[in-house]
Amino acid sequence: MNKVTTTIDHSVLVNARKASRKKNLVSFLNKIKKNKAAVVGGIIILLYILMFLIGPILAPYDPYDVQLDQKLQGPSVEHLMGTDDKGRDILSRILYGSRLSIGVGISAVLFGGTIGTFLGLIAGYYGRWVDSIISRILDIMLAFPGILLALAIVSALGPSLINVTIAVGFFSIPMFARIVRGSTMEVKKLEYIDAVKTLGANDMTILFKHIFPNILSPIIVQASMRLATAILSAAGLSFLGLGAQPPSPEWGAMLSNGRDFLFTAPYMALFPGIMISILVLGFNLFGDGLRDALDPRMKN
Amino acid sequence: MTLFILKRLAQIIPVTLGVTLVVFLIMQMIPGDPAIILAGEGASQETVAELRENLGLNKPLAVQYTDYIKNLLQGDMGNSLKNNQPVFEEITSRLPITIELAFYSILITIVLGLIAGIISAIRPYSLMDVGLMVVALLGISLPSFWLGILLMYVFSVQLHWLPVAGWDSAKHIILPAVTLGAGGAAIVARMTRSSMLEVVNQDYIRTAKAKGLKGYIIILKHALRNALIPVITVVGLQFGSLLGGTVLVESVFAVNGLGRMIVDAIRTRDIPVVQGGVLVASLIFVFINLFVDILYRFFNKRMDLN
Amino acid sequence: MKQETVLEVKNLQTYFYSSEGVAKAVDGVSFTLQKGETLGIVGESGCGKSMTSLSLLRLVPSPPGKIINGEILLNNTDILKLSDEELRKIRGNKISMIFQEPMTSLNPVLSVGEQIAESIRLHQGLSRKEAWQKAVDMIRLVGIPAPEKRAKQEPYQLSGGMRQRIMIAMALACTPDVLIADEPTTALDVTIQAQIIDIIQNLQKQLGMSIIFITHDLGVVAEICDKIAVMYAGQVVEEGTTESLFEKPLHPYTNGLIQSLPKLYEDQEELSTIHGTVPSPYNYPIGCRYAERCPFATDLCREQQPELLTVEQGKKVRCWMYSNEWQGETLMKELTV
Repeated sequence: MNKVTTTIDHSVLVNARKASRKKNLVSFLNKIKKNKAAVVGGIIILLYILMFLIGPILAPYDPYDVQLDQKLQGPSVEHLMGTDDKGRDILSRILYGSRLSIGVGISAVLFGGTIGTFLGLIAGYYGRWVDSIISRILDIMLAFPGILLALAIVSALGPSLINVTIAVGFFSIPMFARIVRGSTMEVKKLEYIDAVKTLGANDMTILFKHIFPNILSPIIVQASMRLATAILSAAGLSFLGLGAQPPSPEWGAMLSNGRDFLFTAPYMALFPGIMISILVLGFNLFGDGLRDALDPRMKN
Repeated sequence: MTLFILKRLAQIIPVTLGVTLVVFLIMQMIPGDPAIILAGEGASQETVAELRENLGLNKPLAVQYTDYIKNLLQGDMGNSLKNNQPVFEEITSRLPITIELAFYSILITIVLGLIAGIISAIRPYSLMDVGLMVVALLGISLPSFWLGILLMYVFSVQLHWLPVAGWDSAKHIILPAVTLGAGGAAIVARMTRSSMLEVVNQDYIRTAKAKGLKGYIIILKHALRNALIPVITVVGLQFGSLLGGTVLVESVFAVNGLGRMIVDAIRTRDIPVVQGGVLVASLIFVFINLFVDILYRFFNKRMDLN
Repeated sequence: MKQETVLEVKNLQTYFYSSEGVAKAVDGVSFTLQKGETLGIVGESGCGKSMTSLSLLRLVPSPPGKIINGEILLNNTDILKLSDEELRKIRGNKISMIFQEPMTSLNPVLSVGEQIAESIRLHQGLSRKEAWQKAVDMIRLVGIPAPEKRAKQEPYQLSGGMRQRIMIAMALACTPDVLIADEPTTALDVTIQAQIIDIIQNLQKQLGMSIIFITHDLGVVAEICDKIAVMYAGQVVEEGTTESLFEKPLHPYTNGLIQSLPKLYEDQEELSTIHGTVPSPYNYPIGCRYAERCPFATDLCREQQPELLTVEQGKKVRCWMYSNEWQGETLMKELTV
């Protein structure tokens, strides 16, 4: 009888998995291309990213430049979006403000997403008492309705855009943790993980090299959804005066300012609101498309 | 079933305690010595020290926490730093308003959402469907505070149909309730539509058709009853964003409810009020979630056993 | 023996339109059904037998699918020409249907009794109380013990076999003229299968109805059908009485099917199979659709599609071999199974 020995290389398994993921990625991207909503949403998001990157360069005026003799002018050729109560050009303020509003959202989601993913991975992988404790903590965090948790945190730390970022990031943690925990538990059950374990991989390797790449897609979907919520929440908190302080051109703060002039200069509130709405719309369209593309039941 | 309820009630207790702990801890995070803040600038060291003793700030944190819980159970949430009134009374005077607002908002969410969702599902991809879904998409994209301002501008400033702010008459309720309920209605509409579409493709609907049942009976009796089950969860989830949303909407429309109380208190650094408000809102939320959970379980017991 | 024709289907064509093209699921199917007769429609998955049955009640899912041609005469009324209102009066009343998956074919949130009773109330105009009583009687009739209790239960509380019995009770509650059974036993255990078939046969004797029994299982068909229609690629390729079909199949496909049944009293080294696969309904060949897999195919077969010919009384076959133009081998005609 021949004794057949095969050496299974760790990397063989990883490569096989990578190859199948690549194939999935290509078909996935194709599905997204077919979905019109996702494409429109994606374009909107890209435009906003563009604005984030080069907005301030395009701004025709200094957003902080107070010109009281120019105040409260409606949209015109010189001021495409008009001027606010201190004579500042609204368009420029919007362009500069994109960095603040979008930046807060991205930072908050990065912050909350990283911590949440980490917690979720640990809870899902180790299970038992680790899971119980973490889940209990998540339950408590989720017991606060809506932005109340963020509100409480900002109230303690004091109103500033940074604190809003921290607060919104904090209250994004449970959403990520839940999804990651669920996905981790599913992936953990796959035979692939057993195979890797028998090859002697340690826990950290398994978690980060094997489980994590496989749960990326729900994380990305969640991230895009949370980004929209984070931007909304940050704008909302700023609107209440708890975030960016004047004269900051953050969009929520601009809305709050504009509210006082609703009778005389409604465009002050109109434009920042539109900017926020379209961005969130973009995320929603894209998220819808993502979800449809990831849906295993191919609807035709 | 009763076992389930009892089990869930038991689970609530640690969460509730956790909430109080979190609120307590967050308030501890406030930079600065509360005694100094209370005493004001220029107060003598002795005054400050006395104040610290009175406020119990010298006791270890754990004891402060248990004192806090003890007081809570007696309904004592401290006094407002602004006007020295008991926080408990501030809350109880404002809470009914918020509850009324929340009630009408949920009504709008459920009624509008269900109707829109059902109409869309009956004729998918028709003009009606596409139109309603576009509106729904807008509904979930527009920030609530902006929607409020927009509605205020159109209906109060321009058309003068409805009052701008306040809470004195029935007319005052309309704009805030619509603003608060719109987002939820959009979500319910989308969820109802997708759930109905899924149900309508099920085999048992084909069986119902094969029996010669009339169209509206198939929709209402056979399809809807199944489609609504996941919608219940969605409505339940809406309560969270609803309660959180009252903070924004009450500020926009100057409604004197719990949300606005919290926001004003944050601005004036009136910590006991913030603490009390956040706590009460969260506890209400926890119980509403429990209720929705039980409701869902009741409707779903047949699914579980399948 | 005077037989009454209850159902006559002529040239039924049901096509499906999608971005991938046109799928000709049912492409010119014709058959007749006499009173009290059991007709079996057999064929592989995808041959169009289920779509044929759905077409009879116009239950074809109508955005992609459409019945574009044909006549379905129920006692001389063309079902395809009825208004929606008239069609509804026939469904569940004159023609009833039971489906393959009893688990998903019953509404999970309604009691089984109600699902039977609503049909009775609708078609027979009985009151709630009377209809409920009748539903209970039907449940008893299909052999479920403690019917009063069972009637109040919901589908998840019943076993697979019981659910299928409920489906039968539901279908027969209004004593239809025709029962269409679309693979009613496929999803059930073999022992339950036998019970269900028994029930169907007993009820047929009691109520005197005709049955169209659709299946891919030749064994079942041999047991309960009087007449069989074999379908392939959207068409009927052979039709005849059960006995003659098994004794002397005419069409090479039918022969292939019967040959591939494992034989109990012979040693078989390999199970016999039919090589090749069914052609795609989007792209049927021009000639005979079975030509690709047929060991006897000639150029004529590949170039022209054969018609359904009547070879003898009650025996029809769609194959050039039985026509006057045939010039190929004649072995098949002389083969016996």
